[in-house]
Amino acid sequence: MTSSRLRAWRYLGQRVGASAQAPGTTGALRGRRPSPIGGLIAAAVSVTVATLAIFPLSHIAPVVSLGVVYLPAVLLIATYWGLGLGVLTAVVSAVAFNFFHLPPTGDLQLADRRNWISLAAFLTVALAAGTIAELARSRAQEAERRQAEADLAAALARELLRSEDTERALATTARRAADALGLSSAALELGVAEPGPRRLAFALHDAGGDQIATLLVPRDLPADAEERLRARVVPTLEALVAIARRRDALQAEAVETALLRRSDDIKTAVLRAVSHDLRTPLTAVLAAGHALGTSSISEAERTELSAVVVEEATRLASLVDKLLDLSRLQAGGAAPRTDWVSIEDLLAAASEGLRAPGAPVRLLVDDDVPELRADAAQLERALANLLENARRYAGDRPVSVHARRAGDRVVISVIDQGPGIEPAEIERIFEPFYRGRSSALGSWTGSGLGLAIARGFVEANGGTIAVESLPGQGTTFIISLPVEGQPALEVSG
Amino acid sequence: MSSAAKPRVLVCDDEHQILRALRVILRDAGYEAVPATSGEEALDLAAVRTPDAGIIDLVLPDMDGVEVCRRLREWTDMPLILLSAVGDEDAKVRALAAGADDYVTKPFGPRELIARLEANLRRTEPDREESVIVTGELEIDLASHTVRLVGEEVHLTPIEFSLLAVLARNRGRLMTHRDLLVAVWGNNYGEDTQVLRAHIANLRRKIEPPGSGESRRYIRTDPGVGYRFAA
Repeated sequence: MTSSRLRAWRYLGQRVGASAQAPGTTGALRGRRPSPIGGLIAAAVSVTVATLAIFPLSHIAPVVSLGVVYLPAVLLIATYWGLGLGVLTAVVSAVAFNFFHLPPTGDLQLADRRNWISLAAFLTVALAAGTIAELARSRAQEAERRQAEADLAAALARELLRSEDTERALATTARRAADALGLSSAALELGVAEPGPRRLAFALHDAGGDQIATLLVPRDLPADAEERLRARVVPTLEALVAIARRRDALQAEAVETALLRRSDDIKTAVLRAVSHDLRTPLTAVLAAGHALGTSSISEAERTELSAVVVEEATRLASLVDKLLDLSRLQAGGAAPRTDWVSIEDLLAAASEGLRAPGAPVRLLVDDDVPELRADAAQLERALANLLENARRYAGDRPVSVHARRAGDRVVISVIDQGPGIEPAEIERIFEPFYRGRSSALGSWTGSGLGLAIARGFVEANGGTIAVESLPGQGTTFIISLPVEGQPALEVSG
Repeated sequence: MSSAAKPRVLVCDDEHQILRALRVILRDAGYEAVPATSGEEALDLAAVRTPDAGIIDLVLPDMDGVEVCRRLREWTDMPLILLSAVGDEDAKVRALAAGADDYVTKPFGPRELIARLEANLRRTEPDREESVIVTGELEIDLASHTVRLVGEEVHLTPIEFSLLAVLARNRGRLMTHRDLLVAVWGNNYGEDTQVLRAHIANLRRKIEPPGSGESRRYIRTDPGVGYRFAA
């Protein structure tokens, strides 16, 4: 008995709790009040049922005590339909009880004290039940409203902050707000947007009071929508847009910082490499110079050391040239001075200018290769650097160069039969100061600048440079330069 | 040098040109060069030829010069001098901690290299403990704990005197902060360079000519590394 009543209470409690939290379930205490017409009908029906029920019951119990039969009706109506209808039901119940059941029946005995007792009892029940129900109802309504607002805020936050792209997220966020408020459309724009003849504008401000965005909605709003927008949606959106903007700013800052750090790293690497590359030949020259001045030196040593001085000074000179080239390229000061140039002349000059001893270079220029408009000095530097690089890795095997025409381009291939380049390295070989791993083999180590310079000058002249390499078989660098039309006068030869 | 055989000096640098020049310079100064072009070769030659000192480049193709120093220090006491570059401060300090004795910065003057080599070889020679060290106008009497500058006695605190004595006994050689702290204060004070700087400053005030910030005559600073007494 006890336990089943307990269960019943728990059940009731759950129902009340559930209906307060979950809009859509039907229940006495849910937010919205049931229709008053239904209430009137229910009141009439329940009072009638109670009145009729007393007739058979009066055979079992004294009729005076049967007034309690009306209580469930009053309780029911007051709970479901509120205080007003509850009081009405109480009064009608008292009258019906008096009229139909209290002797003399069929007559209203207003002076009868029993009548006043039952009326007072019914009214008390109606009042208590109605008030409690009203309170619960208003609480439920409040909870429901808050829940809806929280749901909307969460949904807006999800829309706006989930996406990396704030611009696009603004559109979906506005659509979500419109759905929630039953609007036909809505838009969110960063900055200030003007209202129009058919749209209302709500300004969104940041903590400092500056307008950061505008919410635009149609003018034909439902009655309470504008107030809800102003009081509930706008503050939420203000906070969210401010967060999204701050996030965007932080992201941009992070990207910028990473870029700066990278360029800083590159500068440090360049500085280290330059200082090492300059210092090594300098040290050799200095030491050889001192050694040449010693008294015990032999003739053979003297020859050897003067060769060291010449070689290392040459290396320094070449490095200084390259550093100048590179700094010109990086400063963007390598605007080509174009004139008609012959590929054959360029290749001859580039191969003659090679300073270091090494593999022979074979040049082959097809007959139909036209002259180009380009900066001769820059292209010569580019080719010389490619040749130097190819010879460094070629060992004793010859380096061959082939220039040919391919449509409206001239293609120059520099082919070596060296160790080739690992696929992992290919991406990096054009970076300044990147040295191929196999370059440690030779004693004439490169500066790591040649390919960067070659690419810089080729690109400055509108060309491209590509590399194909098979590890173990050799490497081919392919320069492709545009043919921009022929010189006005055909150059003979 | 007293011994009849020339002292052998291991020279490890991957630049052949530098090795060639150093061979002549070392021979002229009375040494025999044992050239090596890689760290591995240097380690092998150190075992086979038992050189009296080593000159090792910090940047080698096969291993770090610091690593070469560390591996040599596992079994030999010979003076090790590093060839380093300006800006390699960090590697320099690591190499000194790994057991190198001194360094010269590329590009170096050969005279400087030879001076460092001699100063460090002196350390390994016994029976050279002088009781009076005279440098320029400075006279340090190690036995009686007195210091004279231009004949005038200079009053030093005991700590200042010990510092000066340690530096002067090792003249020309680099004494790292740690070397000095351990020699003067003992093993537990190896990190307290602040105190060291303060005492060196006081010592300089007493023995260096006034206003000689740049051209200190007796105690030179190797920034970030240590001090050395003028050779």
